[in-house]
Amino acid sequence: MEKKLSARHEVRNRSLHRVCAVAISLLLALFVTGNAFGQNLAVQGTVTSTGGSPLPGVTVRVQGTDIRTITDNAGHYRLSAPGDAVLTFSLVGQKPVQTTVAGRNTVDITMAKIAYLEQVVVTAYTEQRRGDITGAVSSVDIASAQKQTGASVLQRLDAAVPGVTVVAGGSPGARSTVRIRGISSFQNNDPLYVIDGTPVEESYLNFLNPDDITSVQVLKDASASSIYGSRASNGVVVIETTKRGVQGPPQTTLRVRTGVTSPVRGYDDILLTNSLAYFQVEKAAYVNAGLAVPTNIYGDPNNPTVPAYIFAAPGTATATDAFGRPTAVNAALYSYPNSLIMPGSAGTNWWSEVFGHGQVGDYNLDVNGGSDANAYRVSFNYFNQKGTAIYNDFRRGTVRANTQFNRGKLNFGENMALALERHYGGIPDDPGGYAEDGILGKDILMQPVIPVFDIKGNFAGGKSTTLGNQTNPVKWAFTHRDDVGKNLNLFGNVFGGYDVTQAISLKTRLGFNTGENTFNGYSPASPEVAEATFTDAIDENQNQFLDWTWSNTARFVKALGSHNFDILLGQEANQGQNRFLTGHLGNLLNNALDARYINDALGDATTKNVSSTGGKSALLSLFAKADYNFADKYIASFTVRRDGSSRLAPGHQWGTFPAFGLGWHISNERFLSGNRFLNDVMLRYGMGVTGNQLIPSGRIVSQFGGERGETYYDVTGSGNNIQAGFRQTSLGNPNLQWEENRSQNVGADMVLFNGNINFVIDVYRRNTNNLLFDPALPATAGIASPPIVNVGKMRNTGFDLSVGHTASWWNVTFNGSHYTNKIIAINGTQTFFYGPISTRFGNQVINQVGSPIGSFYGYVFDGFFNSAADAAAHTPAGNCGVSSACQDGASMGRIKFRDINHDGVINADDRTIIGSPHPKFTAGMDLGVHRGNWDASATFFGSYGNKIFENQMEFYVFREFETNVKQDLLANSWTPTNLNPKYPRIDINDTFSRALSSYYVKSGTYTRLRNLQIGYTIPSQMQYLPGARVYLQGDNLWTQTSYEGLDPSLPAANISGAAGDVRDQYRGVDRGAYPSNKIFSVGIVTTF
Amino acid sequence: MKIASNYRLLVGTAVLTLVSAGLYGCKDFLSTNSVPQGTLDAGTLANAAGVEGTLIAAYRTIDCTNNTGAWGCAASNWVWGSVAADDSYKGSTNTDQPPINDIEGRHWGAPDGQDYINQKWTIVYEGISRANATIRLLKQVLAANPAELSTADARSIEGEAIFLRAYYHFEAYRMWGNVPYYREDDTDFRKANEDQAAVVADLIKDLDSAAVLLPATPRDKGRASAWTARAYKGRVQVYAGQFAAAVTTLQNVKTSGPYHLETSLDHVWTGFKQFYDGPETIFAYQASANDGEPNGNNANFGERLNFPYSGSHFGCCGFNQPSQNLVNAYRVDAAGLPLLLSSPATWNASNAQFVAGDMTPVDPRLDWTVGRNGVPYKDWGLVKVTNGSDSWVRDVSNGGPYSPKKNAHEAASGSEQLAGGWAPTQQNSVRIQLFRFADLLLLLAEAQVETGDLAGATANVNLVRARAAASAQGCGYRNDATIGAPVQAAYPQCAGDARIAVPINDPSITWARYSVSQYPVFPSAAYAREAVRTERRLELAMEGQRFFDLRRWGLAYAAAQINGYIKGEGGRAEPSFVAYKSSAEDFTQRHLLYPLPNLQVSLSTVNGEQRLKQNAGW
Repeated sequence: MEKKLSARHEVRNRSLHRVCAVAISLLLALFVTGNAFGQNLAVQGTVTSTGGSPLPGVTVRVQGTDIRTITDNAGHYRLSAPGDAVLTFSLVGQKPVQTTVAGRNTVDITMAKIAYLEQVVVTAYTEQRRGDITGAVSSVDIASAQKQTGASVLQRLDAAVPGVTVVAGGSPGARSTVRIRGISSFQNNDPLYVIDGTPVEESYLNFLNPDDITSVQVLKDASASSIYGSRASNGVVVIETTKRGVQGPPQTTLRVRTGVTSPVRGYDDILLTNSLAYFQVEKAAYVNAGLAVPTNIYGDPNNPTVPAYIFAAPGTATATDAFGRPTAVNAALYSYPNSLIMPGSAGTNWWSEVFGHGQVGDYNLDVNGGSDANAYRVSFNYFNQKGTAIYNDFRRGTVRANTQFNRGKLNFGENMALALERHYGGIPDDPGGYAEDGILGKDILMQPVIPVFDIKGNFAGGKSTTLGNQTNPVKWAFTHRDDVGKNLNLFGNVFGGYDVTQAISLKTRLGFNTGENTFNGYSPASPEVAEATFTDAIDENQNQFLDWTWSNTARFVKALGSHNFDILLGQEANQGQNRFLTGHLGNLLNNALDARYINDALGDATTKNVSSTGGKSALLSLFAKADYNFADKYIASFTVRRDGSSRLAPGHQWGTFPAFGLGWHISNERFLSGNRFLNDVMLRYGMGVTGNQLIPSGRIVSQFGGERGETYYDVTGSGNNIQAGFRQTSLGNPNLQWEENRSQNVGADMVLFNGNINFVIDVYRRNTNNLLFDPALPATAGIASPPIVNVGKMRNTGFDLSVGHTASWWNVTFNGSHYTNKIIAINGTQTFFYGPISTRFGNQVINQVGSPIGSFYGYVFDGFFNSAADAAAHTPAGNCGVSSACQDGASMGRIKFRDINHDGVINADDRTIIGSPHPKFTAGMDLGVHRGNWDASATFFGSYGNKIFENQMEFYVFREFETNVKQDLLANSWTPTNLNPKYPRIDINDTFSRALSSYYVKSGTYTRLRNLQIGYTIPSQMQYLPGARVYLQGDNLWTQTSYEGLDPSLPAANISGAAGDVRDQYRGVDRGAYPSNKIFSVGIVTTF
Repeated sequence: MKIASNYRLLVGTAVLTLVSAGLYGCKDFLSTNSVPQGTLDAGTLANAAGVEGTLIAAYRTIDCTNNTGAWGCAASNWVWGSVAADDSYKGSTNTDQPPINDIEGRHWGAPDGQDYINQKWTIVYEGISRANATIRLLKQVLAANPAELSTADARSIEGEAIFLRAYYHFEAYRMWGNVPYYREDDTDFRKANEDQAAVVADLIKDLDSAAVLLPATPRDKGRASAWTARAYKGRVQVYAGQFAAAVTTLQNVKTSGPYHLETSLDHVWTGFKQFYDGPETIFAYQASANDGEPNGNNANFGERLNFPYSGSHFGCCGFNQPSQNLVNAYRVDAAGLPLLLSSPATWNASNAQFVAGDMTPVDPRLDWTVGRNGVPYKDWGLVKVTNGSDSWVRDVSNGGPYSPKKNAHEAASGSEQLAGGWAPTQQNSVRIQLFRFADLLLLLAEAQVETGDLAGATANVNLVRARAAASAQGCGYRNDATIGAPVQAAYPQCAGDARIAVPINDPSITWARYSVSQYPVFPSAAYAREAVRTERRLELAMEGQRFFDLRRWGLAYAAAQINGYIKGEGGRAEPSFVAYKSSAEDFTQRHLLYPLPNLQVSLSTVNGEQRLKQNAGW
């Protein structure tokens, strides 16, 4: 009974919790901000743009004091200041203005926009004017990206940056898989993240508080990224957290957002929730197969009834009906776990038992300030998202301190963040493999007749024949509620710079990323399922890592008349190491949380299993970059980097990665000057080479080993005493060398129509050569991991574009991109290999020369066998092979496949490519309007032309393992009178129609309203909270798609091969993923 | 001024020092970070322990391992030899392990079935690769340090490795016929396949060399000896139809070798350790439980699905269920000889579940081979077949009412995995018999029939039948509420009678009437042939041999048996027997060999040419 109560209690109390959370956070905001202002001599005014429209949100400060305010939506401000005070006006994207009050009561100001090409962008080791950049670099609109509700800043890059795709699951803290300009390799395609100058090989970035981020630049082509040569072949994302104080006394900003989440869609929208309706499907399956319908659950097939009990342990039933179904039980004979009794359910809605409302809260407080000699910023963040699945919870706290000190020519400082994340509930952030397990796979496909709880409040399950053998997902969630993954990160850098002369400056930076990831999990016994187990177990693991990068650069900047030189020389060393320890113990004597330790006395010591692994790698680099600018018209940039990698073979360790870029600021030519249509135009061309060496360390030499379960053997015949054995575990390649990515990019940056429109377009081609990959060897070579070789080739071509317009009261930005991926070579002889994992019905993915990576593969669906004659014509008895192909199991109402090779028989040779998971086009759009004190913004994202392999049909259409089915299955399946159905005939013996085919391939096109925000800026003359902005926000409110599965926005599955992450070989397969969240939230931003 | 310039000098020097320190020692920095972590290198293993360990690993792949998937790699060949033939149904539920549906229905080219076929291929060639690695390493160690191993050990190691290489190639040969043969000096792993005759010649050559190198008494019970190699040579000769040579080889093993029949069949397939690797075992997979492997993965890995379902102690998974056809084959006539011989028209007429209390006379081996309703199941109580959740059968409508039995352990044997891993109740250290003396006697009888020695054949068959008459399933009572009490309730005479094996006419037996007698001298070669084949079926049922035997006996015989099996059961009461077999392909010429895994054929491509040639018809 105890379990039952606590399980339900949690769900019900959530609505109360979220009301409280909203109220408390608003109160907190009011309290903290209410007393920030004093009275003085009144100054007021209006800030307008050069076009005359009012500018809201401008920070107005009285220099040298803590007096400040923000303009309201009419651009109006009001504050008190001494008569001789200096006022500063600042707003992102506008040139700052300083002026003295000089006794005036009204100070009106006009602020000029920083021209697009004047913007300063942090790229590689330096900052550059956008107008000097010849590569393909996109800046993320930070304000827009920060509107998202989520743990990681990566989640919404796709809508913000053309050429970037991002996929993520809906679980709090889930991994975002970011791809820049297609896919360059068979494995390990994550971009390189450079945070405050320190490269990070991590693709969650959950440790990074999105609120701390000042800028995100995406370097998409080689001419931009090759200075990071060694690891830049998948593109580079440069993130700066160097928000530092501006001069003045401490300024405090509080940002609070809290909201309610729910899944964008639930399986209860797709599947049956009524037991008797389900029975009709089951009945049809038997009747259509000519079999007797089982009566053990529903009784008389012609007059089915919900059973009183679906399971009563032998001896517990005191009365049974004509079908042997227990109608009364002696509850006193119930005992857990050996003698269970489970009632029948008229219809359990399994989805709503597991998924419901979640809650999110994001609390930020930062303090910054500084003077000429120093600047600082300290921030605190607490982020908590309760998942839409029960007991699924993500919590993060971060503390960051950024400081910088200037002492004449010397400057030094640090950026440092400490983050602790905790994930509860055992739902992996990056689920992989085949999703039958857990609550997200087919466990949500439980039959509705199974109850959640048995008669004594313990969890029930499908223990009887015909009920499947499913784990109760509520039980799964409940028993894993204390499973916790913790990530502790200390990330940052210390730096020092010295300006030797005005032209020469030196800089050194030591970046580090160290910490620990741990996981503690519990696996319960499951006596309630047919294949019962009675033992439980715990797993515990720990990974410690330290990664450091030390870079030293010298920069020379000189202008000689119209000739501008900017030269950078640098050297860098990087070392990473990790050590992973894992332990397991079964048959716990006490499963209390406090007793879950790996210790002989606490469980069955013979089940204890402890092991450790580790890795080490290093990189050494030298690099140089030279930029030349002539009169802001002709721009050239050359980069060269030389990298040595410990992962590659001696003699091949060093690679050289050159690149160059050319820019022509054509609008600065006389013939275009003053052109009102083409205000500012720069044409760019770049080409270069980047590298990749991201493979496991130590693969130069062959490795040997052996586990007790695969090489040890009881050769003495004792029955319990194994001798050690060894085998070759992997084959080395003494010639391993760098993978190279050669890319070319042509682009243009344009400001058009009197500065009203920004337009950026890039067209590219990227060729990957010497692709690092471990193509399968014939099994005659044994099962040792095949050597990693440099043979494959891949090509990506495409374009990215961005169009923006800013008017006085509204703005719009549109990003669009397209790429085409093509495998050019695998290993020279092989023309294909299958995807990394297969489902119950086989492997639906192929990687084939000439086609995109991860193409769907199978038979071609060719309708249904609509008549007995049609079916007979495809069987040997009907003389198939002559006029029509022989197909195994051809029978009325089953699926017919196409004889692709026209050999008169449907067999494995008729499988072909039946779809691609890659979108033809992705697009993002930001819209903004502001009127008076009100503002609103919306972000749309769409993916077009991609296909989804709806693998869940294996369960909810083909009923693998007697799972639940789609609501329309019975009505829309083939019958002699329904010859144009959606589904084949329901037939328990039809094991043929389910063969992997284009029948599973669906359009994955969708358009989604990612974000909608409506804000109100409290006028500055208001007594309380002057200048604060409060807003209401909705995430993922609306989706337009024809996809009938749960959510067309599918995360990539976490799948690893011996040589690394191979998730790109398995995209777009719907195996039951945690759906995206619909979030309603309210927030406040206030500065004081 | 002076201070400032000193300061500048200081900073400049510091920076320069740092930069040069960073650049210094580039070589060391990269090389010290390139060493693989947590693995062994070839050098560490170049010694006696390394050679012995590599050999141990070569034995291990006889059955599935942690890294080979399941269950196509099972040592017993239950999928390939029993389910594919008329011994058993896949059983369980229709939707569990669908690849086996393809194997059973002979849709061997279908992708699911191909997965299993590829598993078998993969583990066989991994075994060959480990055996060859042992030979290479042995030669390397002996060349570097001749004193590292004693001559006797060195010879046995080489002999064992060559024997194992032949063992695995024989598995490949009987699956696919035309296979590539790999030796220790092979470096091209895309070799063409040899034809069957060449494979047989290679097998015999390896077995002959192994017999020369190996000691007469194995170094350990689980290892091969000279006699193991000789016995396998005889087996290969029978498979190849070299009957005269086979008689010579097998007769020599019979008369001069160390093997005898066990006194009782239940001593062969057993969890009782005192019977492990007894006189009847020529070669067995040495399963081990509770050996420190936390998941019990060195136990009967490949057999784990083949236990009665959740109503029983084992709990899962109800695969490899004996067929009605097999049960019927155990019926005997009044003389105690197989009804199959004396009444070919009626022996298989019964569609009814053969339950306890039916006193139709049967061969006692039935109840050592098949778990059936109401009959004691070793010492696990009475098998229960119901429509409810206390049933020992997962889905009667899919796989019939019978359960496999030989591979199950006895409760009293203590050979069950105690904890850990998936379903420890299905993990045991019961030896998986790969070649036993009864099998050898019947191979010898088969060769004798084909070479005209009907008297010799009769004698060998009768040896096996005499042993079959020695014992039958007893009460197996245990003083236990869930196991013993129902036994006592059903059979009051069983109270306190813990005997698992009893004489076949023991008064405690009231669930069946057992009868098995010896043949008078076979009257004709045709009769003898049928008698030997029937005896093989009865004695070796559910041991993964049947399908290979049928194929050996030729297309006409195999097709008649298998197609008759499908169609003869067409009128059964259990309709699903029909339903899922209705889509089975007729057994035809191409089914005499399994198709090579399509994946391996495509991986053997060199310059556009597939070196591995697919078997005819696939």
